[in-house]
Amino acid sequence: MRGRGGLLGAYAALVYLFLYAPIAILVVFSFNRARQTAVWEGGTTEWYRSLAKNDLILAALKNSLIVGGVATLIATVLGTLVALALGRHTFRGEGFTRQLLYLPVIIPEIVLGAALVTFFGALAFRLSLLTVVIAHVVFCVSYVAIVVRARLAGFDRSLEEAALDLGARPAQTFFRVTLPLLAPGIVAGALLSFTISIDDYVITSFVAGVGSTTLPLQIYSMLKVGVTPEVNAVSTLILAVTVVLIAVAQRLQRRPAEREETS
Amino acid sequence: MEAVGTAAAILLAAALGCGPREAGAPYPGPGEKKLNVYIWSEYLPKEVIDEFTRRTGIAVSYDLYDSNEAVLAKLESGVADYDLVVPSDYMVRILIHQGLLRPLEKARLKHLENLDPRFLDKGFDPKNAYSLPYVWGTTGYGYDRTKVAGSPDSWAPLFDPKNRGQILMLDDMRECFAVALKHQGRSLNSTDPKVLRAAADLLEKQKPLVKTYNSGDYENILASGDVWLAHGYNGQLAKVVAQDPKRFAYVLPKEGATLWIDSVCVPARARNVASIYAFLDYILEPEVNAKIVDGIRYASPNRAARRFIDPAILADPAVYPSDEALARCELIEDIGDATTTMDEYWTEIKMY
Repeated sequence: MRGRGGLLGAYAALVYLFLYAPIAILVVFSFNRARQTAVWEGGTTEWYRSLAKNDLILAALKNSLIVGGVATLIATVLGTLVALALGRHTFRGEGFTRQLLYLPVIIPEIVLGAALVTFFGALAFRLSLLTVVIAHVVFCVSYVAIVVRARLAGFDRSLEEAALDLGARPAQTFFRVTLPLLAPGIVAGALLSFTISIDDYVITSFVAGVGSTTLPLQIYSMLKVGVTPEVNAVSTLILAVTVVLIAVAQRLQRRPAEREETS
Repeated sequence: MEAVGTAAAILLAAALGCGPREAGAPYPGPGEKKLNVYIWSEYLPKEVIDEFTRRTGIAVSYDLYDSNEAVLAKLESGVADYDLVVPSDYMVRILIHQGLLRPLEKARLKHLENLDPRFLDKGFDPKNAYSLPYVWGTTGYGYDRTKVAGSPDSWAPLFDPKNRGQILMLDDMRECFAVALKHQGRSLNSTDPKVLRAAADLLEKQKPLVKTYNSGDYENILASGDVWLAHGYNGQLAKVVAQDPKRFAYVLPKEGATLWIDSVCVPARARNVASIYAFLDYILEPEVNAKIVDGIRYASPNRAARRFIDPAILADPAVYPSDEALARCELIEDIGDATTTMDEYWTEIKMY
């Protein structure tokens, strides 16, 4: 029994090593003094400092944050409304709409990217940061809606009925009862869509226009002339931000359930 | 459903102030005082842009791509507002063929005579009606002098069983075939099926010696000592050599190799015409051109710029090969139907 547990532990350790060793190496090498990325020559924070002075990377970071922020905001509002409509009402074509919601999540990114650029082309809609935002909203809406809908599934409607019984107007009920109860799901959905937006390369590469190079596009083009430790440094930073956001999102999704159990 | 979608899309477009436009409609007038450049990473140093803006008041926006195909996709969409792009030779041909480039009005360029005739009037754009050479380079190989004996000057070490498991080849069909064809004394644009078969046989025989096919970070793999020989573009390999010249060297094989030229072109739908010509003339200036090429360690096609280029780089045969060596290099041309044959053989090589 004991031996089996040890074996299982070793196996698990190997799996985790397999999953995380490359990432750990990337992080370690972002502190590497050597210009070449594959030889270790001692520690330095030089690359983080040169990153802070690199205008192109900073401009790309700014674009990524603008796109991530605006797209998340729009997608969160739209996605929450979609989730409410689907979760609360029965209407003709409801099943179809629900399936349609999963489409941007399931569809290969490259197809969505090609479709969007053809769409913008057909409308003679110039490619810019705006088209990147629109494209990101397209796939982020689905993620938000899916997460919020999951939250809505465990929603106790008697709380809303109680508020209405006690004289609250529907709008008051929505903002003071429904929304606060859904908030963890909405925030989780927003954080998820922000991280997906920040990471997106394929779709963005199709719809980016003048002045809309985002961080992933920037990194990819830098790889063509050689991986510099700056790329490792910026990847480490993205990784850190993504990990924090995902952790926050998971906490927010879990906490209320635990609170209900303990009370 | 579809009708609703179309209507919504049109409404959206109208709301944002842009309606459908005639395809290929010309843009009259000089355009705005700005310039949108779409270019490879590191091809345009910041100081060069800043100086241009200081002199002319034209704001430069600068976006990067990572493949020639990205340029094609963007220009094909018809809604990308780029004023200048810098594709490689074979892509210039495709872009011209697709009608995506605008002919150059050369009368507007004062410094055109600075360009070296060796890089003009090439097959991909005869008479340079659409493109001006921006930088050029060769595809040879770098090697580790502590591992590979002697001073190799041919492609032979890449086929030598002594180097088994220590060879990196570019993951690129045309470049690999170029190596085999040149090694066999043929043109790298051969179309004869028998010649191609012989080259494919050689590459198949070479495969067990090859550690990896890689076009991404071959110079790092060489620098880290994971391979002894790395096939690749001279600029990246020259950087590794410059860092440790005692250990590494670049070879432009005596049998000849690939010559490539990245050219600056004006997309057919470019609008800021006055800014475009101001910029083209600016980058043809000798001092400016020298600043552009020194940073990337690729070579300048600008004769007049040579006086201003870092003498150490100018003297580096990996960057500026002799006329004699250059004369044996060839551009990768469109080989028509032979591409299909080559594709077939390449799949065969990569599969088995």
